[in-house]
Amino acid sequence: MIKIRDLTRRGFLNIGAAAGASLLLPKSGLISPARAAAPLPAVAEEDAVIAWGYVGPTADEGWTYAHDLGRQAVAAAFPKAKTLFVENVPYSADASRIFRQFAAEGANMIIANSNYGDFIYDVAKRTPDVAFYECDGRNPLDNLGTYYVAHWYPSYIAGVAAGLMSKSGKLGYVASFPVPSVYSGTNAFLMGARTVKPDATLQAIVINSWFDPQAAAQAGTALIDNGADVLFGIMDEAAYLQVAEQRGAKAVMWNTDIRRYGPQAYISSIVVDFSAWYVEQVRRRIAGEWTPTEDILPIGKGVDRDAWGETVPAEAAAQADAIRDKIMGGWSPFEGEIKDAKGNVKVAAGHRMTEVELYNWDWSIEGVTGL
Amino acid sequence: MDIIAGIIQTSILAGGVLALAALGEVLAERVGVVNLGVEGLMALGAVTGIATVVATPNPMLGFALAMVVGFFFGMVFAATTVYLRANQVLCGLALTLMGTGMAATIGRAYSGTPAPATFPPIAIPYLSDIPLLGRALFTQNILVYLIYIILPVALHWLMFRTKHGLDMRAVGENPAAADAAGIPVQAMRFWYVSAGAALAAGAGAYLTLAFVPSWSEGVVAGRGWIAVSLVIFAGYRPINAVAAALLFGLITSLGFVGQARNWPIPSPVLSMLPYLGTIAMIIVPVLAWQRMRRLMAAPAALGEPYFRDVR
Repeated sequence: MIKIRDLTRRGFLNIGAAAGASLLLPKSGLISPARAAAPLPAVAEEDAVIAWGYVGPTADEGWTYAHDLGRQAVAAAFPKAKTLFVENVPYSADASRIFRQFAAEGANMIIANSNYGDFIYDVAKRTPDVAFYECDGRNPLDNLGTYYVAHWYPSYIAGVAAGLMSKSGKLGYVASFPVPSVYSGTNAFLMGARTVKPDATLQAIVINSWFDPQAAAQAGTALIDNGADVLFGIMDEAAYLQVAEQRGAKAVMWNTDIRRYGPQAYISSIVVDFSAWYVEQVRRRIAGEWTPTEDILPIGKGVDRDAWGETVPAEAAAQADAIRDKIMGGWSPFEGEIKDAKGNVKVAAGHRMTEVELYNWDWSIEGVTGL
Repeated sequence: MDIIAGIIQTSILAGGVLALAALGEVLAERVGVVNLGVEGLMALGAVTGIATVVATPNPMLGFALAMVVGFFFGMVFAATTVYLRANQVLCGLALTLMGTGMAATIGRAYSGTPAPATFPPIAIPYLSDIPLLGRALFTQNILVYLIYIILPVALHWLMFRTKHGLDMRAVGENPAAADAAGIPVQAMRFWYVSAGAALAAGAGAYLTLAFVPSWSEGVVAGRGWIAVSLVIFAGYRPINAVAAALLFGLITSLGFVGQARNWPIPSPVLSMLPYLGTIAMIIVPVLAWQRMRRLMAAPAALGEPYFRDVR
């Protein structure tokens, strides 16, 4: 299903193009083949300028913090190269100005850690000699690649542990917006929980922000008041973990290890690590090998579950880790038949959802409500 | 039953931020100064609160120091707007920009640290055992009692039951007449604006010491602006301001509860509730109770710097 509101004219054309391309370029595995473009020329390390546009502050202890660790890894790996960053890049024409400014300062590679849609696309189009990467992007160009993490696997694994630890079978989810990252997170989490608690359900609350501790705290409280005893979400801060700690519930978090906010409540976190990937992309750019890629970093190489919290029973951890080993070995839990919330079969029996399908998941499975 | 108690408890907790900031704004606006710096003052108060409890785990001290910081910045703001007669709107916006920026810079060291000490909920004996409402109303932290009971009643008494309060209101309504009557207009404005700023910063400290309890950049998230608009709705009255803040907290938490309980209302509409509520709260009284208009009107000299020589 394609959402009209996500569809720009170019997006529409891209669907056609993607349909055409998918006939020619079968997408195999996790990392899709480079697009047909000549690599950008090599640059000397001392002349290289790598710039990051961050959606949040580097001090957020979450998403942007994790990306900034990646930037620091690049700075350590290429000590002569210059790295720049701008925090709190808004989703507006200001974003274009910031990316243009980077290009004017001689950046060879510009990385945005969030989806900036047309605001990055237009700049990339006009500066073809600069390499661009857009996290969670969906409209690639000859010099604009996209990257994201296969967070649905650790979400599924955490879901198994959550299912084992939930008494009520009611799970809660603090959602930002009804976007694919949220759908794949809620669906995977509930599918994991249902392997051990078949009648588990998941209730989501949309707070219309990636970062609003006050709203997240209230949403977490409302979910617990409603009977949920394990919370999950996709927030750049720890507010609902603190609520869970106070109320004696459990929580699964995102981005980084933030167990100190609620050591009793902490189950695990979907931790992301872009360091190795960033270093590799910068190396390719400096060496003159860079062509854009559309990467989804697999589990174990950029995204994983965090070390289990102190209150997670050893059996639950072991059971979830067994699933993790299976997934690392190539097994996928996202195989048909999967029905949506209305009971329609969306994934036919025997069909294994591809990484691209998981990346673009935009419907709720049966049992998920509130999105 | 638990759901209702839960709703009331969270709306009281959430409304407290707005109530305290709105009380501060009532003080400033009653003497004729619009302070649009509330958002920045709250950010400064929030970061001061967390910085203090990290140094010494005493939430009371954190709250007090936040108010001192707010008072200081309030004095700077009041000096420029009252004595130098700079434009209040511009100075307020500048204060917001400066406050949020400074708080973000100072707070960098504290982000990612949960508050080591917070205001614990205090159960009032006997009252907290009342079924249904007992837990919601009488198991709150001490600031809640201060914000919802002590402060509004004290301020109401001060403004509407004392000679000093009459002078205060006169300064906001007609500074020239007040001046002629021998009321020190500028001193009055200066001290009340500063005191109001202290309360706004206290609201920020409430946020990091009782509500969220941790600092992260952007933690205030626009509540300062909502507090400013609540004051208008509350007709510049302290008790109304607290009631309006509580109503706002209630509507907000209803939105979350509605989603949690899966009411058949789309979530964007539920998230819109507080704002729809605010609009309704402003429109309905205007249409329905024409007589209220006078009572709820803004102080006549609000936003105007006072020049003695051009009266």
